Amino acid sequence: MLKLETVQIYIDGRPLFSSLSLEIKPGEIASIMGPSGCGKSTLLSAICGNLADVFVLSGDVSLNERTILALPMEKRRIGILFQDDLLFPHMNIAENLAFALPSEMEKPEKKEKIREALMKAGLSGFEKRDPETLSGGQRARVSLLRSLLAEPEAILLDEPFSKLDQELKDQIRSFVFETIRSMDIPALLVSHDHRDCPQGQIINLANQGE
Amino acid sequence: MENPPVINHKKISSLGLFPIVTLVCFLSAIVIGLISTWTQAFGYMPSIGFNHFSVIHWIRLFSYPGFNSSLIATMISGIGATLLAFIFTFFLFAFSYHNQFWRLLDQALAPLLAVPHAAFAIGFLFLAAPSGWVLRLLSPGLTGFVVPPDWSLMKDAYGISLMLVMVLKEIPFLILMSLGALGRIDVRRSLAVGRSLGYETVQVWIKIILPQLYPKIRLALFAVLAYSLSVVDLALLVGPTAPPTMAVQVFRWFNDPDFEYRLLGAAGATLILLLVVSSIGLLYLLEAGVKLIFRSWLINGQRRSRFFLFSTLSNFLVLALVGVSIGVILVLLVWSFTWRWQFPDFLPATWSTQFWRNGVLQIGGPIWNTISTGITASFLAVILVIGCLENEILMLKRGLKTNTTKILWLIYLPLLIPQIAFLFGVQVTLVILRLDGIWLSLVWSHLLFVLPYVFLSLGPIYRSYDQRITDVAVTLCRSPWQAFLKVKLPMLMRPVLFSAAIGFSVSVAQYLPTLFIGAGRFDTITTEAVNLASGSDRRIVSVYALFQLLTPLMVFLSALFIPRFYFRQRKGMQI
Repeated sequence: MLKLETVQIYIDGRPLFSSLSLEIKPGEIASIMGPSGCGKSTLLSAICGNLADVFVLSGDVSLNERTILALPMEKRRIGILFQDDLLFPHMNIAENLAFALPSEMEKPEKKEKIREALMKAGLSGFEKRDPETLSGGQRARVSLLRSLLAEPEAILLDEPFSKLDQELKDQIRSFVFETIRSMDIPALLVSHDHRDCPQGQIINLANQGE
Repeated sequence: MENPPVINHKKISSLGLFPIVTLVCFLSAIVIGLISTWTQAFGYMPSIGFNHFSVIHWIRLFSYPGFNSSLIATMISGIGATLLAFIFTFFLFAFSYHNQFWRLLDQALAPLLAVPHAAFAIGFLFLAAPSGWVLRLLSPGLTGFVVPPDWSLMKDAYGISLMLVMVLKEIPFLILMSLGALGRIDVRRSLAVGRSLGYETVQVWIKIILPQLYPKIRLALFAVLAYSLSVVDLALLVGPTAPPTMAVQVFRWFNDPDFEYRLLGAAGATLILLLVVSSIGLLYLLEAGVKLIFRSWLINGQRRSRFFLFSTLSNFLVLALVGVSIGVILVLLVWSFTWRWQFPDFLPATWSTQFWRNGVLQIGGPIWNTISTGITASFLAVILVIGCLENEILMLKRGLKTNTTKILWLIYLPLLIPQIAFLFGVQVTLVILRLDGIWLSLVWSHLLFVLPYVFLSLGPIYRSYDQRITDVAVTLCRSPWQAFLKVKLPMLMRPVLFSAAIGFSVSVAQYLPTLFIGAGRFDTITTEAVNLASGSDRRIVSVYALFQLLTPLMVFLSALFIPRFYFRQRKGMQI
């Protein structure tokens, strides 16, 4: 479970939004909405441990009963997806996915995991493909697979559908939500478009203002 | 969503002339220079009575006393400096990027770049010589020396000291080029993705960001390689002497009163070109090898680094780089105000402004030549670069697939081809055309080397400018020119001025073009400083080296502070 307790973020001594508390159960996708500049992405940065120095965070964030605020980003076990897929251009698709797998895993096992993941995403046979040759939707799916192969305990979605056209958006949204639910991990999505949000908790950060 | 407003491009289609003029200007010099040098390398120079092609000068070159040693010193210093500068640059990015040491380096970058190679080498010589400041600091307490020892760490036969000076001087250049290239990689979010997958920051740098960065600075690296293998002024100051590096040897042959040696020089210059081309090929092979070897390492899933010691080393390297550069400037300053300074005293016993007063009186001519040539060349370079980039934007908007970026890489040729390999040929051609020793020819020769650096530094930032802002401005003021002058240019004032300052500092540092194309009629502070450094009083040399350093530094500072002052009320324009 991902739990936020009286979380507030300050810049120059001013809070971006009023105290926020939230509990997201495994398999649940909660949404945070609000206009640009209300602090949605900053909140995600704070949760995943990538908050810029200019901000100050108060409150507590815990994941599966352990407080994570003192941990560096790489030890929090929280995956993140941005609106850009950020596939690594110097690696092919299989290498992008292998990057997320643990070092202890044997090569044949890695290969099998990648094959399975790609099959589930409808991308069988894409192992050797250059990321540049994939469509926007295919890249988005690979990006999600990469995050999930690292076996995160929670996942954050920073407007991951905002650059997709409507038809593709519907497809990718279903794929992302179904995959996350099947992984049974909590997810937090931020968006300024209510159509992107799944059913469940929706918090409007603009209403959380001072 | 509404489409962005469309500009009537027909009105500004004359922009297409910019790349054509630029390329013709560049290629003509290089092609003419190379052909002329190659024909002379094969014994053909009718003006001095050599009317038949032959390979005799190549045979003479390979059997010339000290040829092998000269070649070895050239390769050690040139290839060694390039590889070390590159490795250290990546090392600094991987281990120190954005820590407090990096902030120090970031602040010192502009002054580090502004220090001309020759001034840096002179200062380094005064630091590391047997009677240099470092040994004075340690003597007699730690060394027991009361007189300077008779050994020297400088001017060694293998070119190690030359290599070291070039490494220290090229790291800031590669950092600058890398910073420009990093603008095209989403570093912040790539780091976030890598770290969210469990990788430590250093591992993300090494496995994700640096492999993306390398292809973007490859050209700059090749430029460093070409420069390091063919440098003359620096090698004259800190390189081996008997025999010297190939470039210095060739330079001496070109200046020999016996004209036959010029043909030998042409063969030597062509050999240096071959050396550069084969070294670039070697780097490509090395790159392919590294990719092959480290491919599985990239995806082995190893998330934790065992590089704690490397982080300390990297921070030490930052301190060393900044420290040596400060030391170089300080030692030049101290020497320039020295009247009497005995070894092993750490500071002079008596001080004087005598050498500054003499220097100011004598240096007027060289300073004027330096400033007038530098400003004209960098101004022309900025205009040509902006013209080419605007044409590129125009062509992209028109949807033309043959965009100029594909051919504009030719502009970088003067950086990839050793100066000495074609400048002599250009000089001979200008003599035939009676255009040698003319100021405009000198400006043109400097422009050849200034323009690529201006392009390298301005191009990435200019291309990343959001053109929609200008499009909106055109709809408001109804004139592409007005929109360009009132909106785009002011918004890009900082990078434009900074690239002009880089261009100016490149012009200030030119040694061979000034001597060859200026036909010895235009003394600049660089030619004067290098000439004096070989035998003159350290106090006089220091004054000249400081003038060489201060001139571009003033221009760099102006480039930094003018936009800051101009936009002091605009928060969005502040860094």
